[in-house]
Amino acid sequence: MSSLRFVSLVAVVALFLFGCVRVAPYERGNMAHPTMTTSDLAGAGEMHVRSVQEGAVGGGFEAGGGCGCN
Amino acid sequence: MQLTTRRLRCLSVVALVVTTLGTAHAQPPPDHANAAPTAALPAAAPTVSSLVWRASSEVAAYADTDHVFVLTPTLGVNVASPTAGWSVGARYLVDVVSAASVDIVSTASRRWEEIRHVGSVDAVYKPGLWGVAAHGAISDEPDYQAYSAGGEVTRDFLQKNVTALLGYEHAHDIAGRTGTAFSVFSHPLNRDAFKAGLTVLVDRSTIASFVADVIVENGDPSKPYRYVPLFAPGTVVQRGESIDDVTRARLSARVLEQLPLTRERFAIAARIAHRFRGATLRVDERLYTDSWGLHATTTDARFLVDASSRVEIGPHARLHAQTSVDFWQRGYVLRPGFDFPALRTGDRELGPLVGLTGGARIRVGLGGEEHPKSWLLGFDLNLTSTQFLDDIFTTHRLSTIGALTLETEL
Repeated sequence: MSSLRFVSLVAVVALFLFGCVRVAPYERGNMAHPTMTTSDLAGAGEMHVRSVQEGAVGGGFEAGGGCGCN
Repeated sequence: MQLTTRRLRCLSVVALVVTTLGTAHAQPPPDHANAAPTAALPAAAPTVSSLVWRASSEVAAYADTDHVFVLTPTLGVNVASPTAGWSVGARYLVDVVSAASVDIVSTASRRWEEIRHVGSVDAVYKPGLWGVAAHGAISDEPDYQAYSAGGEVTRDFLQKNVTALLGYEHAHDIAGRTGTAFSVFSHPLNRDAFKAGLTVLVDRSTIASFVADVIVENGDPSKPYRYVPLFAPGTVVQRGESIDDVTRARLSARVLEQLPLTRERFAIAARIAHRFRGATLRVDERLYTDSWGLHATTTDARFLVDASSRVEIGPHARLHAQTSVDFWQRGYVLRPGFDFPALRTGDRELGPLVGLTGGARIRVGLGGEEHPKSWLLGFDLNLTSTQFLDDIFTTHRLSTIGALTLETEL
């Protein structure tokens, strides 16, 4: 649970640090570019390979399913 | 841990219910004055129709120096109504795997081939400040079935400068053996995943995302094919020792892999994306730890350049480093009385390793003059060098994956 507390603290700090800067709607043209998406840019195949080759998960959108190419 | 899981699950359900109810009762009318792209969902290109259809296909091919080959075609379709704030998508993926890795050869087994089918659907509804999303997936292969379903709730704050996210997913897997009915032999695995995230507009060109995941797994994930060699006390096993040398040094007895029956996994990640004039820099960092004692760091960076109005290119680099799980041993010892470690594995991805990936991608717009990227042809190529720091059989693997994609917006 200490990890959860730490994450909550980071989130609150981030909210106050960055939340002070307001970006108006008409200033968000750069955010509309497809490369600025908050999603992962890796394709399905690359994400599945990562999920098999790396012992860590989380922090993004992983491909689900079985052991595949393990 | 059962109590912790129950608490987390309860909290997530309460949060989902409260926020969903909040959507019904406190939802303001759609704010068309703020119809600029939000932090979480970039705006779709304007179209005549109120519905935007997108279709995509990807064919990915993987090969490595451990004689594993995978071909993965994927088809996806998505329909969205930007004005109403909803979208629905579906995807179908097939993995065709052919392997004769060192683990297979060392057990005198022949090359095996396998096909995995994955189908998934997702839906998003975000008419204003609140948003809900749901997704589900089914994966099927001869010896493994996986089912998952989950949902997320998002809420915009501070005039959409900040977006918070809460999510939950439950997955149920069934691991079996090829050629044996699941009713005869199978291991059920259950996974509860909790996610909390925050996306912040740092300035007009920078967006930052923070995500925390808590994943609780219950069940036996041990591979029913994976045998672990045993050695007599005092036997020295070198890193990268060959199959022949291991065969000479090991005892005739061998045992199946046995992993712990529960695992709690924790990850926190941050993602920064900055838009320069004609280029985007994206940097991700993930820190990970789990109850098996595996700690990891993963850094991922992309620099994407608009070479022209039709062409986007960019390099990609990724560094992943991890420690081993607590019960990792290069050579497990069999003591008198048939006494051997209760927990044991031969899975190299549970050992200490460092993986370095380098690659690049290109996207070429094939559409008309007005919307050159309404048809998008892409190619990604990544090369990964993995050093196994404390393994028998092998110390290094070189792998490559190439993916050809075609996306269109109708």
